Amino acid sequence: LTGRLAGRPLRRREDERILRGRTRYLDDIDPPGAAHVAFVRSPFAHARINGIEVPDGLEGVFAVITAADLEGRVSDLPVQGIDGGEVSAEGHPVLAGEEVRYAGQPVAAVLAESRPAAEDAAERVDVDYDPLEPVLDARGSDVDMAHWHKVSGDVDGVFESAEHVVRARHALPRLAPVPMEPRGAIASYDEPDDMLTVWVSAQDSHRQLAGLAQVLGRTEDSIHVIVPDVGGAFGSKGAPAPETMLVAAAAMTSGRTVKWAEDREENFVASYQGRGVEAEVELALDGDATMLALRARIWADLGGYLMPTTAIPGHTTAMLMCGVYDIRVADVELVGRRTNKVPTGPYRGAGRPEAAYFLECTVDVAARELRIDPLEIRRRNLIREFPYETALGWTYDSGDYARCLDTAEELVNRERHSDEVRVVGTGFGMYVERAGGMFETADAELLPNGKLLVRSGSSPHGQGHDTTFAQLAADRLGVELEDVELRFGDSKEVPRGVGTFASRSVAMGGSAVVQAVDALKEKCAAIAAGRTMSLREVAEAEPGIRASARFSSDLVFSSGAYGAVIEIERATGRLRGLRLVAVDDAGTIVNPLLAEGQVIGGSAQGLGQCLVEEAVYDEEGNPTFASFVGYSLLTAAEMPPVLAAFVESPSPLNPLGAKGIGEGGAIGTPAAVANAVSDALGGVRIDPPFTDAKLWRALREADT
Amino acid sequence: VKPARFDYCAPASLDEALPLLGLETAVLAGGQSLVPLLNLRLARPELVVDVNGIAELDYIRADEGALRIGALTRQVALERSELVLRRWPLLHKAVRLVGHPQIRTRGTVGGSVAHADPAAELPAALIALGARFHLRSSGDARALAASEFFLGPLYTAREEDELLVEVEVPEQPEGAGSGFVEHARTHGDFATAGAAAVIAAGHAGIALLGAGPVPVRAEAAERALADGAAATEAAALAAQDVEDEHRRALCTELARRAIQEAMP
Repeated sequence: LTGRLAGRPLRRREDERILRGRTRYLDDIDPPGAAHVAFVRSPFAHARINGIEVPDGLEGVFAVITAADLEGRVSDLPVQGIDGGEVSAEGHPVLAGEEVRYAGQPVAAVLAESRPAAEDAAERVDVDYDPLEPVLDARGSDVDMAHWHKVSGDVDGVFESAEHVVRARHALPRLAPVPMEPRGAIASYDEPDDMLTVWVSAQDSHRQLAGLAQVLGRTEDSIHVIVPDVGGAFGSKGAPAPETMLVAAAAMTSGRTVKWAEDREENFVASYQGRGVEAEVELALDGDATMLALRARIWADLGGYLMPTTAIPGHTTAMLMCGVYDIRVADVELVGRRTNKVPTGPYRGAGRPEAAYFLECTVDVAARELRIDPLEIRRRNLIREFPYETALGWTYDSGDYARCLDTAEELVNRERHSDEVRVVGTGFGMYVERAGGMFETADAELLPNGKLLVRSGSSPHGQGHDTTFAQLAADRLGVELEDVELRFGDSKEVPRGVGTFASRSVAMGGSAVVQAVDALKEKCAAIAAGRTMSLREVAEAEPGIRASARFSSDLVFSSGAYGAVIEIERATGRLRGLRLVAVDDAGTIVNPLLAEGQVIGGSAQGLGQCLVEEAVYDEEGNPTFASFVGYSLLTAAEMPPVLAAFVESPSPLNPLGAKGIGEGGAIGTPAAVANAVSDALGGVRIDPPFTDAKLWRALREADT
Repeated sequence: VKPARFDYCAPASLDEALPLLGLETAVLAGGQSLVPLLNLRLARPELVVDVNGIAELDYIRADEGALRIGALTRQVALERSELVLRRWPLLHKAVRLVGHPQIRTRGTVGGSVAHADPAAELPAALIALGARFHLRSSGDARALAASEFFLGPLYTAREEDELLVEVEVPEQPEGAGSGFVEHARTHGDFATAGAAAVIAAGHAGIALLGAGPVPVRAEAAERALADGAAATEAAALAAQDVEDEHRRALCTELARRAIQEAMP
């Protein structure tokens, strides 16, 4: 991308404000006289509720709300469907009625003069539970909540006649998203105007607005959603939370401003989680290692209810099971089951890391069984022409998979050796990622001082929109970066849009910004009518010039090839990453510095998933990970060098040629690291997290 | 989470503080363990006695060859003490591995010892050094050896009306070397396991953390080393009672490294 600004590695201009603390996060908003909420949460993974008793005279308490109080006022959270599949109508209730289905589920809400007072009272609310047997894994469950199955071609016939059939089983544990800022919401209701105002820590305003309208049975025009500064989400603040609904409903019934700012423990137990899937994958190959057909059965542990987006990651996994390979015959089934854990949902990667892990690890098994180099088997099977319609039904718009793989090979410097102290191995993982899709909006306004105000339907929670969108807008209008102001996240201020997820901001939001600014520029040119006028003069000649755009497109498909070199210490089993190589094709890159930051951050999460992250439930379904003692995150000290490179094959589907870069690191890293581990272990395969104890045992197995 | 209600007092002297201690009281020093426990409502004292104002408990000094550390001494002070670095370098090595700098700035030596986490660094190092723990109550004073002081996870011989006031570390043999090694999931995280070693001619002090319910003195390994055993052999003895196979291998390796580092 060539522009004065776009394509350049500019530093994030929002960082100074953030680093100096001139931000306003949800918990910084402190409305006087607000009622503070603490939830009574289920201590059982599965139980029947016989009754709830609230003692009299709770100090400082305004109200205790249970499901009975909400009857007729709220509905369960809506459930999004999946294309070509079925989902059951098991939306998450705002508060539990007769049954609780996971430890941590909200059962009652205490409104009090302070959060400590609310917590004191919440301890005294007496819920009579009859514990029931919990179901803790998908295969042990007999309740389907999401199902998708597609057969393309003569799968059985191809498998029967194929020279080689390779089978592998894989599992990825549940992960907690752990944004730096936990969730939270504040609501106030203005009765005379019948206007409900909700501040919420969320990825965007639009899905919160739609969810609130649906659950509360109100029109969208009667709700004002404001998203303040947001300290991260990683997918976990996309779908509206039941707690947010409670806060809004409570503001309407109590007549008070109601605030809920969750703590870390609540975030761990009640925020929807990522992954939690297993798969059996079979690959049919001919004598030249050409992939002929694929069979995959995927089991997803979806948790106790369907959050609005719970079914989406599993569907994405299923749809991407042929990956970057030209496999024309496929049979893929997704079985999403109900369990007694907190629901799952999109978490950075959202179905794509699962697909990459299942497929790429199977490809390495095939390479080993067929005695062919893992890079060679990939090269023989890569898709090389675009657009390409997969056997599963998506159309990849663009890519250069071979170049990604070549670049990764060049950068990684493959190693495999073993001595008395350590074993070292190298692994690769490729991916293709659905990104973008649907539509996004933007609005451009020329201010009286000749500066440009851009309102975007896509809002940031760490991505750097304020810089990248300003780069795009300033280039199009021919002004400086500081002449562009961006506004986001306020449903009264910004046009209705879709939001920030699926690595879609530049491709969709950025394209809308460019179109809006182009339209504004045309209006300005019409006003100038051939005269040489500054923008300020144009603004003076005709105040209030505005133009808006709504850009829509099919999905775009980013791709990449990742490499990892790791060592395992024999004495302790400790895994160390020696280096990671990340080659991503996100099409046109608007800001290489921010793109690299996304890759490194995503890789750190991907490596964290490999080394330490796992949301472990005990055999009764109690979370054992509800603090940073039980759930570990990587630090900078554990990060190996990440060599990031970009291949830019532009998407034909948007004016920028952009795809998505927000998730590649989290998608490519686990597969590459898992294959490196197996390479170091001489072919022994284990699933993440690769803890010291697991690796130590696997090494002993490998040595015998 | 916010703490349950408690009463709070901040005495300015030891004499003022001691009579306040008793059933259902918690002593607040650096707060790096107590405050999270309060916030999680796992600790629910009626009274929190904040000892941060008791300046007389904040000192590091050498006294007739022994090192005396006041219980309120911040971990960072121990880390930066020239005296400690010169004559008790094991403590310097161990304290640097306690959490992160922010934690060591608030956390105290006495707090870490009295909290008695079996995975903590300072108790293991102090055991290897043969330290004694001085307790005071209104009417009494006593000093205990580590074997008498550490009784279980987060459990010591300190009575409810007692305050840990001083840690006394004896002079180490001439020419002693020291080694401290630990293994944690991530940098600054709680250690999975670790080992501390002090070795001189005819003398060895070896202790393990994360190897059992209390920090363990590895007496068999100490005897073997004093008799001239090699590091590998002594390390195997040090970890021989650890039950889990992988943890035993881990402790053996960490003990070996600590011993090797300490060997003259």
